[in-house]
Amino acid sequence: MPADLYDVAIIGRGPAGLQAAIHAAGKKAKVVVFGKLEKSSLYRAHVANFCCFEKVMTGKELLEGGTKQAESFGAVFIEQDIIETKSETDCFTVVTENGQTYSSRTLILTMGISRKKLRVKGEKEFVGRGVSYCVDCDANFYKGMDVAVVGNESAAVTGAITLLRYAKQVHLVCRKLTITDLLYDQLNNSDVKISRKAWVKEIIGSNEVEEVLLTTGETLKVNGIFIELGAKGAMELAANLGVVFDAETFSFIETNKWQETNIPGLYAAGDITGQPWQIAKAVGEGCVAGMEAAVYARKLADS
Amino acid sequence: MAEQGVLDVTDSNFESDIIKADKPALVDFWAPWCGPCKAIAPVIKELEETYGDSIIFARFNVDTGPNTPAQYGIRAIPTVILFQNGTVVDQLVGAVPKSHLEEFVKKVL
Ligand SMILES: Cc1cc2nc3c(=O)[nH]c(=O)nc-3n(C[C@H](O)[C@H](O)[C@H](O)COP(=O)(O)OP(=O)(O)OC[C@H]3O[C@@H](n4cnc5c(N)ncnc54)[C@H](O)[C@@H]3O)c2cc1C
Repeated sequence: MPADLYDVAIIGRGPAGLQAAIHAAGKKAKVVVFGKLEKSSLYRAHVANFCCFEKVMTGKELLEGGTKQAESFGAVFIEQDIIETKSETDCFTVVTENGQTYSSRTLILTMGISRKKLRVKGEKEFVGRGVSYCVDCDANFYKGMDVAVVGNESAAVTGAITLLRYAKQVHLVCRKLTITDLLYDQLNNSDVKISRKAWVKEIIGSNEVEEVLLTTGETLKVNGIFIELGAKGAMELAANLGVVFDAETFSFIETNKWQETNIPGLYAAGDITGQPWQIAKAVGEGCVAGMEAAVYARKLADS
Repeated sequence: MAEQGVLDVTDSNFESDIIKADKPALVDFWAPWCGPCKAIAPVIKELEETYGDSIIFARFNVDTGPNTPAQYGIRAIPTVILFQNGTVVDQLVGAVPKSHLEEFVKKVL
């Protein structure tokens, strides 16, 4: 059992994660929250329909308020993305973009939803023939080849670094990176070739991907392109733990009314569990998940 | 009568169990480290329970042998390929919804 074991680890600091943190820490659980405030889909919103706030609130104000509340109850915030999750006997382990490992008796997934598709010409056509959405799944198929990764956040950068172990040449296409300083240094000291202030305009090939045309006019000759927008989401962080998704869309995590997934000790709340995508639903589910996780962790600690 | 569940195939029995099979076959190319592969596995199993009488449901762990995946140009997993009389009818890449997979399976019914 790791020395500094948390009771409740929460991936995501949007309304679902913050409310979960408030309720779990309120029950005296040792709580850690991962993620970035500015990456919540609420951050840029103006909110008029959230009960009890009569005046229009900005998402930023709400999130900052929620963070202060959770901190006052004792929750700890780590402003980093999670890039890996593992389940071990009686605890979960998560790895941050800086490579730090944290362990917790329970885990609450509140990563929200994010765009996965690039929506450019050639993308759909070449899926499985050079276009990939999962470095962890497909890196092995690109041994000795040239590849590109597109994205601005931790998934793209850690993905590009991972690909160095397989591919001959790795290009990273990004507009502006939003990652931790440590990861940034790691990237700059690596052999990844970076195309900055650039984005993918078109993916070109005959039967397979052969070239990627950038908005800067540059063309990359590559055998594959990995589309890794944003931070790792449900499919990357939950599916490997054996979490069941809704069979109809394969986009959302299935939970019961206590926000439990099919894995004991693992909960999900907010946009990640499906529609409606609203703060009220996110905080409602976050509240339940936080309380349930705290109780479950207590039981594990006492047994 | 679906007696055998989802069959594990490898480079060595791919020819006999899939290519030369007397029934159409659906092969799920997967790997243990792949999250999306884990996500679709229960759906493939469900489809096997429904359609297992008329179609062979198999899975190929790409970790066990590179030849077959390379032969079919597999560069992303999960990839699900539908075979009939030894040739590829169609293929799907990624964790696609159950309804898509079911439509896909019906192509050989
Ligand atoms: C423009 C806009 C306007 C909106 N207006 C309204 C409104 O008026 N009323 C309303 O009720 N709702 C509104 N919504 C919807 C609302 O913002 C969402 O329903 C709500 O934010 C969902 O909360 P969440 O906690 O589930 O996810 P999010 O708020 O999206 O938070 C996700 C969190 O997870 C983190 N994260 C993601 N991946 C990782 C990872 N790998 N590691 C660590 N952390 C990770 C992110 O950094 C972020 O902190 C609006 C949304 C948008 C986009």
